[in-house]
Amino acid sequence: MAESNTSVSCSSDNFYSELLSPSELFAARSRSHKIPARGQKEFLPDGSARQRERLQQSLEEHWSLISEERVERLGALVKGEWIPSKNVVVLKSPAGKFWQTMGFSEHGKQLLLPEEALYLMECGSVQVFLHDLPLSIQEGYEMFLSKDTVNLQQYQVRHAAERRECRGALPLRLVPHKAAVSSLKVFSHLKRLGYVVSRFDRSTVPSHYERQLNLPPERDGHGRQLKRKRSRSPSSQLPDGQGGVAGESLEMRGGETKSQRANPEDGAAGLSEPEAERMVEDVPVPSGVPERRWWVEGGADLPQSPTRPRHRGWVWETITLPDLGAHRCQPALAAPDPSLLPGRLSVGVCAMEPWLRRLNLRPERLSRRERERERSRYRRDVNDDREVRHCRSWAEYHELRRRRRNRHGRRNRPEHLWEGKVTPLLQPGQHTTAGDVLDKIGVVGASRLLDGAAGLEDSEGWKISFDVFQPDTVAEFKKSSPGKPYSRLCVCSFEGPVPDLRVLKQLAFQSGDVPVTFAVVDHGDISFYCFKDFQLPTDTSH
Amino acid sequence: MTTEGSEKSGEEGVGTSSGSGGGGVRFELEKETELRFEVEAGEKVQLELLSGLAEVFGSELNRNKKYTFGPGSKIAVFTWQGCSVSLTGKTEVAYVSKDTPMLLYLNTHAALEQMRQQAERDNERGPRVMVVGPTDVGKSTVCRLLLSYAVRLGRRPTLVELDVGQSAVSVPGTVSALCIERPADVEEGFSVQAPLVFHFGSTTPGTNIKLYNKLTSSLAEVFSQRCEVNRKASVGGCIINTCGWVKGSGYQALVHCASAFEVDVVLVLDQERLYNELKRDLPHFVKVVLLPKSGGVVERSKDCRREARDEKIREYFYGFRGVSFYPHAFDVRFSDVRIYKIGAPSIPDSCLPLGMSQDDTQLKLVPVTPGRDLTHHVLSVSCMEDEAEAGAGGTSGPRRGVLESPVCGFIVVTAVDTQAQVMTVLSPAPRPLPRHTLLIMDIRFIDLK
Repeated sequence: MAESNTSVSCSSDNFYSELLSPSELFAARSRSHKIPARGQKEFLPDGSARQRERLQQSLEEHWSLISEERVERLGALVKGEWIPSKNVVVLKSPAGKFWQTMGFSEHGKQLLLPEEALYLMECGSVQVFLHDLPLSIQEGYEMFLSKDTVNLQQYQVRHAAERRECRGALPLRLVPHKAAVSSLKVFSHLKRLGYVVSRFDRSTVPSHYERQLNLPPERDGHGRQLKRKRSRSPSSQLPDGQGGVAGESLEMRGGETKSQRANPEDGAAGLSEPEAERMVEDVPVPSGVPERRWWVEGGADLPQSPTRPRHRGWVWETITLPDLGAHRCQPALAAPDPSLLPGRLSVGVCAMEPWLRRLNLRPERLSRRERERERSRYRRDVNDDREVRHCRSWAEYHELRRRRRNRHGRRNRPEHLWEGKVTPLLQPGQHTTAGDVLDKIGVVGASRLLDGAAGLEDSEGWKISFDVFQPDTVAEFKKSSPGKPYSRLCVCSFEGPVPDLRVLKQLAFQSGDVPVTFAVVDHGDISFYCFKDFQLPTDTSH
Repeated sequence: MTTEGSEKSGEEGVGTSSGSGGGGVRFELEKETELRFEVEAGEKVQLELLSGLAEVFGSELNRNKKYTFGPGSKIAVFTWQGCSVSLTGKTEVAYVSKDTPMLLYLNTHAALEQMRQQAERDNERGPRVMVVGPTDVGKSTVCRLLLSYAVRLGRRPTLVELDVGQSAVSVPGTVSALCIERPADVEEGFSVQAPLVFHFGSTTPGTNIKLYNKLTSSLAEVFSQRCEVNRKASVGGCIINTCGWVKGSGYQALVHCASAFEVDVVLVLDQERLYNELKRDLPHFVKVVLLPKSGGVVERSKDCRREARDEKIREYFYGFRGVSFYPHAFDVRFSDVRIYKIGAPSIPDSCLPLGMSQDDTQLKLVPVTPGRDLTHHVLSVSCMEDEAEAGAGGTSGPRRGVLESPVCGFIVVTAVDTQAQVMTVLSPAPRPLPRHTLLIMDIRFIDLK
């Protein structure tokens, strides 16, 4: 049985005309399965006949490839129906091997996302019907790709080497949506290379809070479902950009009925409604509470939580140290509490009087030099200073002394250097090691990609489109618990702007600990770029 | 009345319980009085508690146990409740005194304990106490007393020994810190387990005050780090014993120490001038307290101090009373070790490079060429990793680490053979030496006994 690219109707009446003769079938089977090499790229038309000829030949090769009849076994085709209102393809017959990495179930039905359906159509694995009539691949391109679903660039990246026998897509006579085209390209390209590509779902990325807690990632499908439910809770209204955006993208996903994707594959065996309800009700509450608290209290509370005991000063009113110097008028010390004494001693009051008489009032014998030195150094009581009296602990006192020393240093420095607009980078005596000096004169400070990314709002036109999993994980891949993606993809084109730092930060934050790769589409050529954090070497020997 | 005195070892072979065989002299003590006695040179005295409760510098006596004190010991047996004790042996003096500042010291302890309770409650750090005063006022004894009382209440205070002349923890010429986990032994003092010791190299801080202050800061830093990880040590606080040098640079060192350790309480023993000066020079939140010295404290002569130092070094190698340890003697090749002295002779300012200040020389490591004059010197074995040292090559940068690395042990050079380039050392452990960076002390020890 065969299906041609351009066949629009395939009713049973003219069924026989679609049948191939054995010789035709044999020819189709033994066709070369190679995609023609594109060869060297020519940059400029040089007007020579040789170039023109080569271009012509290349074009013809492509045309013939595209217009070739697609020959598939009818029995091997999985039937599906396109539902335009929901933007999905419902499978009518049991899914094939592709089900391991593609598709999702809902209400006991097996569904395919449009880009998946398109890819499988091109592979010759799926035949999609609309109003009981089969769709051609070209029609698929026209109908499935819209701004809301997936665009062509994205699609092209997704498809892979598993489909060597399939022969390219239709020429784009009708360009559906420009952005849609590039997305689809990216999708099909990656898919063809064997990667597992799925739509990026924001709620599967652990939040900043969860990452800080270092929670084990929630893998199972129920967890994902619950999480989605939770982020609809009031926390999404909190001022933080992430919460709000997450809520927004949820609505979108709800429209696509994609939120249910994580359900168990065979929908019939899935959770019964009440059970799912209960889990939704119960579980998110405890995990949701700390999250909310975290944001509400904000960062201001954090530094206060003492990791080391901070000294705040003693309550001297309750502590009586016997002091012969100060207690001159106090005749006796009250008996101390026995609980403070070793062996539960109990002792009486302690008379100070006799000790006062026995104090050593003998003046020290000082040499003249010593006396002079003392006089010059300690003329004043440190506590006469009002600022010192305001200090309540050693930490504050040290801080005050340090400040004063700095001020002192400033007073002594040569004025002509410091008065102008341009002043030296370093204060004399402030930095003693080469490492300090290097730190100080480092004009461009080090920054990390994620610094300050938490508060950034979504930027127009930039979003992560796909999660990409490595081909060698396909054997163990489970749609319900895909695990951590190898990379996340943002699709853009050479005609558009280069992502700026703000976009990089925002996407990196959204992606969490998974690197973000930019797939740049240039009329069918896809290049991948990513931005890496790196640290400038520092001098550690000082 | 000093702690050091009690640690003097008895000479083996002196007649057992000479003279008064059987019963000794019996003393009946009323409550809050103390029996003071000094042991005659070359003699020893046995003390036995017959009834009641009594303590020696904060450590309680067991009833009917004989405690032996060697020649020159100066002991005070104090009782809070009243007791009777007997003394066997020749004493130089033995009398009962009612006039003791023990009640004041006990009140001091009670206040510190209050502070520890407050620290425990408020999750803060415990009191850091510095005991200061001129020589021979009983600083070490007050420290021992306060530490013993604290540890009897289940606290884990730290003794910081900054008295380089008469260290209660390690050999002289070092500063050290020791975590106290049980009351001091009546005869031996605190059990020294895993102390943190830094090499100073001389018996008076004046020989290198810069180094002394630097070591104080190092100790304070280590102690603070320990407090951060060990809540119990943090609440227990520390008691800092200082040198008796309270004038000029010595006084400066005290102020520096108070600032480095961030002390909360300064106990000034028996000198009002020092009390007033510290009140003036320390910020108001530090409680400076004046306490009297005990009437039992006796002045020690220079000889007495030197003897005590010798005894301390002997104790390091041979154990208490010279009987518990058996040190090793072995040869060390000059080429295997690097010997340094800390502090170079000062150079006139005019000879220095522009902008270089004089204090650098005091902390400088000067290599010592081994020679005959090394004989009898005490050497500290620095904990510093040999590799780090070897890697340092000629640069002075990493070598500064030697100053801040603690000491892992001491050896004494007993003989030097310049021909064979070998020296014989007395070492607490068999060969080889654990590390090969040695720091020389001014202190000599002649291993005679």
